Amino acid sequence: MKKASLFIPCIVDLFLPEIGEATVQVLRRLGVDPLYHKAQTCCGQPAMNAGYRDQAKKAAKHLIDVFGDDDVIVSPSGSCVYMVKHHYPQLLRDEPAWLWRAEELSERIYELSQYIVDILGIEEVGASFKGTVTYHESCHILRGLGVSDQPKRLIQKADGVKFLPLPLADMCCGFGGEFAEAYDYISEEMVKEKVGCYLESGADLLVLCEPGCLLNISGYLSRNHPEKKALHIANFLAGTGGGG
Amino acid sequence: MEIRTTLFNEIAEKEIQNPYARAFLKVLPVAIAVRRKAVMDSFPDPNAAQACGQAIRAEVVARLPELLEEFEKNALARGAKVLWARDAGEANEMVLSIAKERNVTYVTKGKSMVTEEIGLNDALAESGIEPFETDLGEFIAQQLKRPPFHIVGPAINVPVEEVCDLFMEKAGMEKTTTDPVKLGYAARLFLRDKFHHVSLGVTGVNMAVAETGTIINLENEGNIRFNKSSPGTQVSIMSLEKVVPTMEDAMHLTRLLSRNCTGQKISAYVSMDSGPKKPGEIDGPEELFIIIVDNGRSEIYGDSVAREALRCIRCGGCLNICPVYAKIGGYPYGWAYSGPMGQVLTPLLLGLDRTQDLYRACTLCGACRDVCPAGVDHPLMFLYYRSKDVEEDRGLRGKKRPWKESRFFGLWSRAVTHSVLWNLGVRLVRPLVNRYSHNGVITTMGGFFKGWFRTRNLPPIANKTFHERWSGLRRKATGRQSGENR
Repeated sequence: MKKASLFIPCIVDLFLPEIGEATVQVLRRLGVDPLYHKAQTCCGQPAMNAGYRDQAKKAAKHLIDVFGDDDVIVSPSGSCVYMVKHHYPQLLRDEPAWLWRAEELSERIYELSQYIVDILGIEEVGASFKGTVTYHESCHILRGLGVSDQPKRLIQKADGVKFLPLPLADMCCGFGGEFAEAYDYISEEMVKEKVGCYLESGADLLVLCEPGCLLNISGYLSRNHPEKKALHIANFLAGTGGGG
Repeated sequence: MEIRTTLFNEIAEKEIQNPYARAFLKVLPVAIAVRRKAVMDSFPDPNAAQACGQAIRAEVVARLPELLEEFEKNALARGAKVLWARDAGEANEMVLSIAKERNVTYVTKGKSMVTEEIGLNDALAESGIEPFETDLGEFIAQQLKRPPFHIVGPAINVPVEEVCDLFMEKAGMEKTTTDPVKLGYAARLFLRDKFHHVSLGVTGVNMAVAETGTIINLENEGNIRFNKSSPGTQVSIMSLEKVVPTMEDAMHLTRLLSRNCTGQKISAYVSMDSGPKKPGEIDGPEELFIIIVDNGRSEIYGDSVAREALRCIRCGGCLNICPVYAKIGGYPYGWAYSGPMGQVLTPLLLGLDRTQDLYRACTLCGACRDVCPAGVDHPLMFLYYRSKDVEEDRGLRGKKRPWKESRFFGLWSRAVTHSVLWNLGVRLVRPLVNRYSHNGVITTMGGFFKGWFRTRNLPPIANKTFHERWSGLRRKATGRQSGENR
């Protein structure tokens, strides 16, 4: 049986654990045995984005230690994967002993939909949904990892789904971590526009792959359009609800 | 010009409510993106064309000192006079003394961002020399006494009605009109008269070709060419990163600049000057001064990360695609340069201490980096500035961060390396957060995270985190497997 090590981002761990559960369910359904290192914490992105590079470095080294021996690491967050793949080698560029481990790790870590489609070579995962679905292209997944077709194919192959395009799908939803708090008045306009595009798409459901965007978009929906839902792709594929 | 970078939030909160600007900004990115894509697709391989531009600009940054010397040598050989200005004051002083020696009472100007940076118009006006901006947008912005809204379209946000009133008052227009063609004509009449008698014209520079000593300007109105051909004396001002190695490089960047800037294959006018008018030539200035402005850039050049900012060719492509710019417009950036390119350049030129919002008001979405023909990695630069700010870097003038924030990340970094501490922290914080939860949702935390709750709800911290659920999840799997085995 194939094994994959789960990298559960802190946002998922704390606020959206059902995304983690759904990830486990989907992987098992596809014949992959997920394992989970209980020593994992956070990838360090909050510290790095705030400018606390030394603190982010500590998180990076911890994560490299925790996941160092795993062949394949899968995460239901493209942003955290992007952090490991793209920013770890930069953070550790002056420490050769760590740099090669970071670079080596970056070859073995995947965002969930990327792992399913590109590595497992599966598009039909036995998901079903009766209705119309649209997809938000999260920045770090689209522009960071170059992942865009994979999740859309998984959605389109689900039984009963009619896929509808999302207007301005690649426009940022306004999350940006600390940005949403510090520049709330700009963030508000951005998430409002994103949700406006969702409503305009006419879809019954918005699916995305990024817990941060999900917290932002579903937080806005919950306040302003409680009848509309956004769902993480893991929950969509597993056929479970949740995700804020 | 006045520096208002510390007023970012104040101005942005006002501008975000400006219905006219917002309506315009909603259309701009979409319209430009369509045009840009169409003309980019006219390249046999658009990605390769962008990559080639990025490589040229990388070469410029790597070889900057020697390219500048080569440019100077060749420009001098062609009869231009090359002046080096260490800072804004020196650059302005040079223009002033050239103007005073020739007893001019006014100058005409082509659109130039570096003259905004050094505040040339104010310096001229203070010395009793009137500057007339001759780019239509720049003319409007100057007359309205407003900073540029967009580095390419400085008054692109001003409604025609306002332009009409302005031209009635200041440009001698006789009948009110909102017809853009008629408004353009009024400005043209007014400015033609200035060109007719002008003896000193000031322009910027888009590219300075090292191998030939040529300066190149791109424009769509023809006014820059007027500034170069009407007066006896031409002063062209460039920041030092405008140099490019070869004419072939310059031609490729011309293609990219036009496409990324206005979605054109080539702008309406491209003019090149290799020295002043030569014997037998019918036009061009009698004398050509080229002022190369440093203004802090050679210091930036000493920093191997920060120097990447010098790749920028001012196409404005990043402004046109930035989701934050699209909400707040150009004024909040508080100086000559706006949008992502301004967020990259301004903190280096003015210091990190008074530009904190510029490199923090960004979601790091990366749309600017993806579109940049010069290869600037804007998000990476912002992360670098943030870290230098936290470190209170002297050279870049980092400012101390609030102690609560430093303290938080200090504690955070201790927990992040010890999962036991981390999960203990989660258990401690959970009841504090969840006491605000009603019916499974948090709508406010009584003053904490006000920004988030302004427009959003938050789910409570799970009664069982994934970490706490894992044992159960694992048991489920083992159970199922043993069931299968039976």
